[in-house]
Amino acid sequence: MFEFQFSSLSEFLQMGGVYTFHIWAVYLLFAVFISYNLLQPRMVRRHFLLEQKRRAARDEELSSKTKTQN
Amino acid sequence: MWLWFAKLGSPRWFYELSDKWLPWLYVSMLILMSVGLFWALLIVPEDYQQGQTIRIMYIHVPVASISLACFPLMAVAGTITLVWKMKLADMVAQSVAPIGAWFTGLALATGAIWGDQIWGTWWAWDARLTSLLIQFFLFIGVIALRSAIDSPDAAAKACAVLAIVGAINVPIIKYSVEWWNTLHQPASNFSIDPVAPNPPEVWVPLLVMISAVYVFFAIALILRTRNEILQRERRSQWVIDLVTREKNV
Repeated sequence: MFEFQFSSLSEFLQMGGVYTFHIWAVYLLFAVFISYNLLQPRMVRRHFLLEQKRRAARDEELSSKTKTQN
Repeated sequence: MWLWFAKLGSPRWFYELSDKWLPWLYVSMLILMSVGLFWALLIVPEDYQQGQTIRIMYIHVPVASISLACFPLMAVAGTITLVWKMKLADMVAQSVAPIGAWFTGLALATGAIWGDQIWGTWWAWDARLTSLLIQFFLFIGVIALRSAIDSPDAAAKACAVLAIVGAINVPIIKYSVEWWNTLHQPASNFSIDPVAPNPPEVWVPLLVMISAVYVFFAIALILRTRNEILQRERRSQWVIDLVTREKNV
């Protein structure tokens, strides 16, 4: 049951030769799908945190300015 | 029971709980995905009819079956939003829509690539293919509907209704291969008999891949829901504290 189906790396990359493109295209799409859906939320989160930090810093600056004016 | 339910509806509680879950989910996805991909690409024997293209099944079937789970999930979340006005349920409903669109899109794309080999055509107006395409458009419709309505409460209600009505398509997709005798083959039966048409050496790695993709789905959904929680609760004290604590951005 547990036997390798390919005897060399080039044979593995060939995938039988006839439908090499089809098989690897599916696995490539899958890789793009997984990476996008894991990385996109991380970028959104990063963007959110940066934005909130910037906002907090600006608010603090504004409040300290008002204090000095008074 | 009701206390538990009320707690579950609290976005903060979910956010803090998911902090503990995520590392475990990542580890199990990594293990399942490595085992599944290794098995599917290197160990599974050639199919007597399809040859090496049998390996496409280990991506197409998990992705397609989980794409069918997305819509009912959105409908259940929509029902909870309408009945109990639970904020978290609407955040889940909003997060699952783009993921469902991705899953359905990938199921259609990998199916087309596979179809080109086994049927000799990328696309046919077959019952299964057409109903899945409708599901894809329904997801796009839900996303568009939410962005078209300015009031968040009205958007939540409208999307919940569309999700519940649209869920009627799911059994149609599921049984399309039995009700209509068109191109797509019906679901196969699993058998533990080693000489059956579908021996364990073919379907065990498929089950591993299905579990791996399910865990991936859970992670993707949790990540998006967490972002939605932060965005909507950005004025509450716990999020402000969290932003101040977070140093490595």
